[in-house]
Amino acid sequence: MPLDEEAVAEIYREHGPMLRRVVWRATSDANRVEDIVQEVILRVWKQAPEADNLRAYLITTARHLIVDQHRAAGRRPQEARLVDVAETDSALDRALDQVLVEEALGRLQTNHRDVLRCLYFERLSVAEASDRLGVPEGTVKSRAYYAVRNLRVILDEMGVTR
Amino acid sequence: MTTGSDDLHVLLGAYVLGGLSDDDHRAFSEHLRTCTQCQAELGQVSGLPRLLDLAGPEGGPHLSTTATPGGAPPPLMTEPDDGRLTTLLTEVSRRRRKRRSWLSAVGAAAAVGIFAGGAWLGPSVFSTRAPTPPTTHVVAAAAPGSTVKVDVALVTRGWGTQLDIDCEDMPTDGEVLLWVIGRDGKESTAASWRATPSGYSRVTGATALRPNEIQSLEVRTGSGRVLASART
Repeated sequence: MPLDEEAVAEIYREHGPMLRRVVWRATSDANRVEDIVQEVILRVWKQAPEADNLRAYLITTARHLIVDQHRAAGRRPQEARLVDVAETDSALDRALDQVLVEEALGRLQTNHRDVLRCLYFERLSVAEASDRLGVPEGTVKSRAYYAVRNLRVILDEMGVTR
Repeated sequence: MTTGSDDLHVLLGAYVLGGLSDDDHRAFSEHLRTCTQCQAELGQVSGLPRLLDLAGPEGGPHLSTTATPGGAPPPLMTEPDDGRLTTLLTEVSRRRRKRRSWLSAVGAAAAVGIFAGGAWLGPSVFSTRAPTPPTTHVVAAAAPGSTVKVDVALVTRGWGTQLDIDCEDMPTDGEVLLWVIGRDGKESTAASWRATPSGYSRVTGATALRPNEIQSLEVRTGSGRVLASART
């Protein structure tokens, strides 16, 4: 592996910003974000620098690191209750999924995102969304189609497969 | 208006997200019965609403029309920074040297050093914007002697509660049922399905009880053996 530095720098440049957002939002601790992001990149580089789906690999690794750290924190005597650890694990998983879904929405093309917001989050009809966005109903329908397809692809790439 | 088959195909998006007129909804449902391509595509994207619900009622910072104070990462998080990259690369070469000299013993030590902190993962994780979410997830604990993994999402509906059930490592034959036990102690089945050879199944059940009226959920075999249970 003669080009380690280059490989790591490339991973860092390409995926660093996304990883920092995800880790920051999952932990809300700005001081730790950079440590975690770097550790994630180093681990992935060490284990599988040419993984097919690097983004999913990075995110999964970040998830494990955050969960492990959280568990370690939870085992401290004053809060060492197994039930709590199990419960917070799944809450943490959900919090991470939430961050990833929001991240994925941010990666959608703007006009796809607008249609998705109108139809799903604001519960507008196709006709209402057409008014709101100033485009024909047919356009709302086709954008909705591509929004859904692309969102699935983005989530798959991020390793969110359910 | 409408409808060549291509026009119908594209309705899949609004069918999943919601918003189709009654006519379009009917037309697409009809089309779906015979179009295997649409059936396959629907299978790939039908889980999206559940994921979108995780993003909260407004879809998170990228979708909110109003700025969310504290919701967006601080500016320093958005751009890679050369100083950090240098630190990272220094660490890379350090570890590479270590790997050469130790070979097999590379590993967790460095990580432990970095992460020796205490309870830094504060309650903030759990307070990220949670204004009465309409969906609650519960993970059912496997009964002794059983290894099943069951995750149930309780979705509040006007008529009661929708129960989205994800099961893994289930028995591979026989019948499986989801029982709902109310706070008044009454038991009722909310879903029954046949075990699959893969041991994985995802089904949806329903109960007239509201989420706060449900005391516990149990996944049982047809013969009444409890596979997993959860208190809500």
